[in-house]
Order: sequence, then structure tokens, then C-alpha cells
Amino acid sequence: MNSVNDRNRDIGEYIPAPDDDMLVCRCEEITKGEIRRAVHEGMYTLTEIRRYLRIGMGLCQGQTCSKMVKGIVARELGVSPAELEPATSRVPMRPIEMDVFARERKEA
Amino acid sequence: MKRYDLIIVGAGPSGLSAAIEAAKRGLQVVVFDENERPGGQLFKQIHKFFGSKEHKAKIRGFNIGKQLLEEATELGVEVRLNATVIGMYMEKEITVKREGEIEHYKGDAIIVATGAAENMVNFKGWTLPGVIGAGAAQTMMNMHGIKPGEKVLMLGTGNVGLVVSFQLLQCGCEVVALADAAPRIGGYGVHAAKVSRTGVPFYLSHTIKEVEGTDHVTGVTIAEVDSKFQFIAGTEKHFDVDTVCVAVGLSPMSQLLKMAGCKMEDNPKRGGQVPIVDEYGETSIPGVFVAGDVSGIEEASSAMIEGRIAGVAASEYLGYIDEKELTEEFEKNEATLDGLRQGMFAPKNRRKLIEKTEEGCEISTNLLKYGFVADNEIERYPGVTRKAGIHPVMECTQNIPCNPCQDACPKGCIKIGEKITSLPAVDETAQCIGCGMCVASCSGQAIFLVDETYEDEYASITLPYEFLPLPEKGEKGIALGRDGKFVCEAEVVDIKSVKAFDHTNLLTIKIPKEFVMKARFYKAK
Amino acid sequence: MGYTADVIIVGGGIIGCATAYYLAKKGVSVIVLEGSDHIGNGGSSRNGGGVRQSGRDPRELPLAMYGIQNLWPNLSEELEVDCEYHQDGNLRLGKTEKHMEILTGLADRAKAVGLDVRMIDGDEVRRINPYLSDEVIGASWCPTDGHANPLTTTLGYYKTARKLGVHFISGEKVIALKKVKGVIKKVITPNNTYEADTVIVAAGLNSREVLATVGIDIPMQPVMLEALVTEAQPHMFDQMLGTAEADFYGHQTKHGSFVFGGTLGLEGFTKDNGMQSTNSLAASSTCRGIIKYFPMLSKAKIVRTWAGWMDLCADKVPVISKIDEVPGLIAACGFSGHGFGIAPAVGYNLSMLVTEGKTDVDLQELRYDRFKAKQ
Repeated sequence: MNSVNDRNRDIGEYIPAPDDDMLVCRCEEITKGEIRRAVHEGMYTLTEIRRYLRIGMGLCQGQTCSKMVKGIVARELGVSPAELEPATSRVPMRPIEMDVFARERKEA
Repeated sequence: MKRYDLIIVGAGPSGLSAAIEAAKRGLQVVVFDENERPGGQLFKQIHKFFGSKEHKAKIRGFNIGKQLLEEATELGVEVRLNATVIGMYMEKEITVKREGEIEHYKGDAIIVATGAAENMVNFKGWTLPGVIGAGAAQTMMNMHGIKPGEKVLMLGTGNVGLVVSFQLLQCGCEVVALADAAPRIGGYGVHAAKVSRTGVPFYLSHTIKEVEGTDHVTGVTIAEVDSKFQFIAGTEKHFDVDTVCVAVGLSPMSQLLKMAGCKMEDNPKRGGQVPIVDEYGETSIPGVFVAGDVSGIEEASSAMIEGRIAGVAASEYLGYIDEKELTEEFEKNEATLDGLRQGMFAPKNRRKLIEKTEEGCEISTNLLKYGFVADNEIERYPGVTRKAGIHPVMECTQNIPCNPCQDACPKGCIKIGEKITSLPAVDETAQCIGCGMCVASCSGQAIFLVDETYEDEYASITLPYEFLPLPEKGEKGIALGRDGKFVCEAEVVDIKSVKAFDHTNLLTIKIPKEFVMKARFYKAK
Repeated sequence: MGYTADVIIVGGGIIGCATAYYLAKKGVSVIVLEGSDHIGNGGSSRNGGGVRQSGRDPRELPLAMYGIQNLWPNLSEELEVDCEYHQDGNLRLGKTEKHMEILTGLADRAKAVGLDVRMIDGDEVRRINPYLSDEVIGASWCPTDGHANPLTTTLGYYKTARKLGVHFISGEKVIALKKVKGVIKKVITPNNTYEADTVIVAAGLNSREVLATVGIDIPMQPVMLEALVTEAQPHMFDQMLGTAEADFYGHQTKHGSFVFGGTLGLEGFTKDNGMQSTNSLAASSTCRGIIKYFPMLSKAKIVRTWAGWMDLCADKVPVISKIDEVPGLIAACGFSGHGFGIAPAVGYNLSMLVTEGKTDVDLQELRYDRFKAKQ
């Protein structure tokens, strides 16, 4: 997307909320409060949030939580969720045992 | 490296349809699917489909899957199951995990038809065992024969939430309620009505506040929300449940396309991140096409047509047909697709409040808010008429693309006309013989045969019935209204289960005459 | 938005973020311009997390030792983030006599510059790491090496620098530098022109084109590095691992997952689709390498693979240097795939270079004008 993103722009203070302790990423056990705090610490993109908190880096690779994370981050930044680019997709689409990955079928 | 003319990822309705079109035109096609059974979501769909004959309307979803698979196999398509495509690379290379090994393949063209995944929502307790996706519930019931729970609350009133609620009821679960944060029911009114008449309440403008339990779900509290989706204090309602089903929409599974470098966009109207494509479904990478939910959430009927379009387009891309054939096929399919995308639930009407049908009848506000058409609203629709002798009453009140009832009647009593979304009307000149074909053909279970002159004091009502065990002839029970509440005593006078009805049983009950326009469901005592 | 500062740093990777942090701590005003949408989007978040001295070129070894002695031990407290720094040693493993020769050679060169590295046999290797297979016949062992989390460390520097007032702007790609009256002054992007008396270019591979706009060239080449990550496993070991054959390297993270990098043999020649995509052969090859060393990991699931471009310098060590012909300009690039471990030391010394004109570590060997013809 490469849009200019001034990391000093004012998004207000982090205000604790009653549901901050709610789990959002089940695989990595990250709460809503941790996500909200990370935004106020300067993590303005979903990629940064993911790298900073490991959110969406677990077994499901964000299949379950990425949309919810997007909503939370967008609200905190005061932008529309569609403006936030989802984190990258990476091989493999499903978790795969190392010994399976290691076995490549020989051409018949 | 093994190379195919066309690699298709996903053996669901769109992938198989694409495979059929391409194989017909001489392409060597392989389809990979990570599941053990082909058909994608079709194999979980035990309900009859909407649409027209060309869209395989009134056929149950899993049978559509079987038909597509047979057709593809006959045409020589290789369908590889338990084969997970784990990566998509440059030069149209894919890696597949199959039989404990990694395989590399290249395609001169690739169609990605990976479908969608269920969305989740956050609420307190959403991670407790017993909170499941509606699709997961469907898999448990219809693929594995497992009852998801005893008492279930459904969150979401889109078609998935409505259809799965009905299936939960069929499976023997108690559905305590359906809740939705939206102020109006999102799915087809007929789907809501068939749930409602069994006595399940709908709570619109309500969502889950908390799911209770320590190691599994033991209860759920819902509460009303205002127009900004904030809870209104004091509106809490509590239900003892062991299962909470979540049906809050789908997101395209477009990760393969993204990793392959296709240009993507975030499009809320299409359900999330989707590839940018042209009218044939071709992505920014020439020769890489998409079809079905992966390029925008719709439903199985349009997925099949998108699949056909992509299959034909891939054939043209590889020189198996000329541009003329592509254009002709495209125009034909596009017209059908356009037909499906009409009516009250058309993509262009999403989130819009439609107040009148195309015929000018007022839409039932009760249906949108409570899941059933009120007694004082029902007679405004063209399918609902009263006369002496047996005749169909079609409680079809919204313009949806569906017309099997018109063809079902051997006597021509039902007319919809050219426009597939029109409401069915009764042709007064034709004579109903009470065969019940229309009742069984209606995917929305919205057609009833009514005979107000069945006996002196009694009327008969023939209704679609898809529950087990079947009541016995002569059994006395109660009749419920559209709202699922007690109307009157009822006696089962006939049960018809013939092959042509495709597992929809026709139950005829006898009730006192004055309740003829009220009673719409039978319940054993 | 302010367009002027004492120092402008081109590149928001770990070098840029660390330098900005140490400068801000000294009261210097800094603007960091990051060309991509994300802070730390290049090699900073695409590396194996090694904090090593062993195996390094003697020219950059002093920086590695400086960082490990002075900066890494307290970095988590300083940045208020868990950098997951472990100083539990580095094993460089060998399976053949040939491997052992390579390892001995590397160890001898490191010992010569004062690093504690020694050769150990297979049994001693398995005393340190009992999970290694019997195929391992020996290793070089450097007990003061370790590893850390590149993601939290990079973003920790960013977070703390931002808190100290450093102005970060992402999605702001620098297209040119400009001298004014003989000294560096302007930093130009498609949107704005920024001004400072000191400009530090730490933009990885992109440094080459940025520096070219003021007539400077640093010979660098893009080389693809690939890695994979497993699901979390029970805690097994804390050492950093490498091999003589270079078929894999990596460590177990605090989270429990293993991060392993591997080489395919095609590194200098791979291409990508613009998204730093992986090669279809890499993960399988790396898995085969790992299983030989750790048979017990064969059932661990790979959840993700990733790739990133390294800025491989002609002589495989970085340029960290003032540019004489362009007064005020400093280059810090060409880290050649091993910049993460030395990043704190580079950032700290660059901050000294800007404020005091001298550095704790002698950077003479890393000058920009060192590249000469063979004969």
C-alpha cells in the first residue's frame, strides 16, 4: 500500500477498558488489552502488531482472529478496517510435520 | 515436474464446475482438495437448494455434489482428495501435501476455488468448549452423525444461521433462541419461518454479552443493543445451554493467491481480502483464475456459475477454444448469474431496508423482526388465497431467485413467470388435484395445501415435514401457528412419503375450520 | 509535521531504530524515514536471531564483542520489551572430518583475536545439547554467544525511540539526497523534502540507490535468505546452533517454537514476486537438514516459512562509515545477513560518531572506500 504514516500523529491516550482481559488470539493467548496497548506504543500496522505480540502466528496462522484484530486496531487508530492491510500469507497453508515436508515425491 | 493444462485448487461447487467445463473442451485437468470427500460445503448441505432448474434447484446440496463429481470423473478429470495445496509459487507452481509426501506440480493455468472460512466474534467466554462455528456444527451433524449439543443458542440470522438452526432441530437439539445484533433477520424469510413455526424465538438487536461456564459452556446471556451496537442495561436474557453456535459470516480463503503475488484488495462487500479480477475471474497474474467464495462471499449456485465461467476462460487462455466461444459462453452464464443476483437479497441490496416487494406488497415487518409473518399480514401476498376445495397456499413473501414450484405443479396452478424472483401466484383457472408436488418442491418449505371444506367443521392442511420420527396416521397432537405457539388440537389424517418428494414428508392434519389460516406446524403431544 | 531535525535516518530497520534511540537518549532530535509500510520490514524481521561472535570476520568481531559485553545484557530492561536474549553459547556442528577441518579453521582465526572458542568432540556436544543425533562428531563451542528475538528487539528500539521523541514516518521512500553548499542537507521523498546536517543511510539494499544520488556506490548484492518456524515445543535447549555444512542454523525461542534457517545452494540466484516469497524447494531441503541433527523434531509441525533479501556486501562485512566526499553523510549498510547481533553496538557507536566524532569500537576496517581491485 505504501501510504505515508506519521507515527507521531495523535491517537489519544490508552484508556483501559473492562473487556481488556478478553482473549482474542487463542493460539498465542493474546488479549484485547495487549493489542490496544501495542497500538498506543506505536504499532500502527497489522504486520507490526503481529511481530510485536506474535498474534496470528500460531497454529491457525490468524485464520480465526485476524478479522477481529483488524477491527480492534482500526478502532484504536480511528480508521476504517479496510484501510489496514492484512499481514502476509506464507507457505504452508496448513501446519505440516517436518518429516512430511522433508519427503519430496520422486518423479515417476 | 508434472505439468497439467489446468490445476484447480478446491473440489467444491465452483472448482468442480470449472473442471467440467474445461475437461469438456479437451483440457487435461487435475483438482486437488484437502478434504477426504469432494464437494466442498455441498456435502454438508442436506437442505434443498433454491434457484431454477439450471441451478439445480430443489435438489439437496449433497446430491448436487455427487452429480458434479460424477460428471467431472466421466470427463476424465483427476480428482485428488486428502491433497492439501500448501503453497503457490511463481511460474504457476504449486506444492501439495499428499500421502505423507510433498508433490510439486505446474499448471499452464490455475483456478483457485478454495472457498471461505467462518468468522468468529469476541465475547466474554468465546473460547470455552461448546462455542462452535455453525459450519462446524453442520460438519458434526451431517458428515459425522454427531449431535453438537443438547441445548443450543444460535448467534446470527443469515442463511447459514437459519439453515443450521433448522438442521439442529432436525438432529434433535433444542434451539433455545436465535440472536442477531442487526435489527433485521439477514437470511431468507422462508428459512426463518420454518424455524419460527417450531417454536424457536428470535431476538433481533440482541447479541451475546457473556457465555458462562468454567470448563465448558453452561449458559449464555444475551442483551439488547442500541443502534451503535452498545448494550442497553437491564435487557439481559439468560439461557441454560451447553452449546453456542456462531454464524456471523464468512471470509474468503484467499491466502494462496496472496502468497502467489496476485493483486489483492480489502473489500467488505465481498467479505474480506479478495483478489482483483476481471469479468472472467482472471487475477493480475495471467492464467491464474478464481471462482466461488474465494473471490467474494455468495452462495453455492453462483459459485457453480462462476466456476463454469472460469473453466471456459481457462480453456480460451490455453487456446482450446476461440474467443467467440468464450464470449458466447460468458454471456450465457453472465445472464444466469445476473438472474441469481436479483431480488431482495441481491448483493446490491445488502444492508438495505426493502419495504415493498416487486409486486408492490408491503414486506412483513414481523417476519424481519420475529421470524414469522403475522396472521394479519399473510393474506396480502399473491400466493395466499382462499377458496373452496383443496388448493396451494404459498407463503412466499420476499423476492428471491427461486421457481421450482412453478414447474412442480402438473396442473399449472402456480405461476411465477419469466422473472425468477417474482412471488408465486395462484392461477385461478387451473384446478389443484392435491398431489403435493409443490409442497415437496419448495426449498423454503413455504407451500401448504389447504382444504377449508375437508369436513363440515374441519379443514385439512398438508404441510412439509422433515423430522423424525414421523407421526402415525390417526395420531392426535397439536397444531402450532407461524409463531410456534399453540393454535388448536390436530389429528394426523395422512402421511405421504414418495420418492419424488425426496425425503420431504407430506403430513396432512385435520383442524377446526376457524384455524385454517393460522395452523402451520404439527407437534406430537 | 516537522521536516527538519539534527539527524535524519533513512531506513527504519534495527540499525536505524537503534541509532535513533541512542541519539535521542543524548538529546539529539531525529527523524526516521521508512520506505515500506512497516518498521523493521527488511532483514531486521527476517533473520535467525543470532547474537554471535564466533564465525565472524575479524573486522566486525570487535563490534560483536562490544555489544555482547556492554549492551545486550540489559537491553530488555532498557527497551521495556522482552528481547528474549539468551547467552547460552553457540554450537557449530560437524558431521564429517571435512566439517571438523572447516570448524577448526574458523575457531583458530577467532581465538587469534581473543575470542573464547574451542573445539569439542561429539560426546561433549551431547552433554551440552543431549537432543543432537549421533551423526554429530564434534563442534566448535563459543560459550559467550547467544540469540535474541529480532522482532521484539527491533520494535522495542522503535517503541522506546518514539517515546523519547524520535519522529518516525513510514511509507516515506527516500528517492534522493542532496548536498547544499558542499555538505549534506536535503532528504527528498515523493511527498516531502526533509533537512538535517547529518544524514545516516541505513536502508539495507536500498541504500545503494539512495547513496548513488550523491555519487557514492557500495558494492552489494541481493541474496535470498529463507527460514521456517515450528509450532511451540516443550523447552529443549537454549544454545544457538549452526553447522559447518551451513545446511541449517537456528534456535528454540522462548515461545517454544524453533526458528531454523537453511541454505539451498541457489541463494544468489533466486528471485521473488515482490513479496519476498519463498522458493518451492527451500523448506523441504531445510527440513531434511534439521532431521539429520534432531531426529526427535521430525514430527514437529512447520507453521510458517519466510524469506528475506540480504544486502550481501562484496567482502561480506558491512560498511559503517562517514562519507568523506559528502560531509555530514554516514552509511551503515551491507550487513550481509549478520547485522542483527551487532545492531545495538552499531547504533550506539553511530550515536557517538554523530555527537562526539569518535567511537568506542574502531570502525576503520569498515570504511566505504575499502573496495579495491584484486591486483
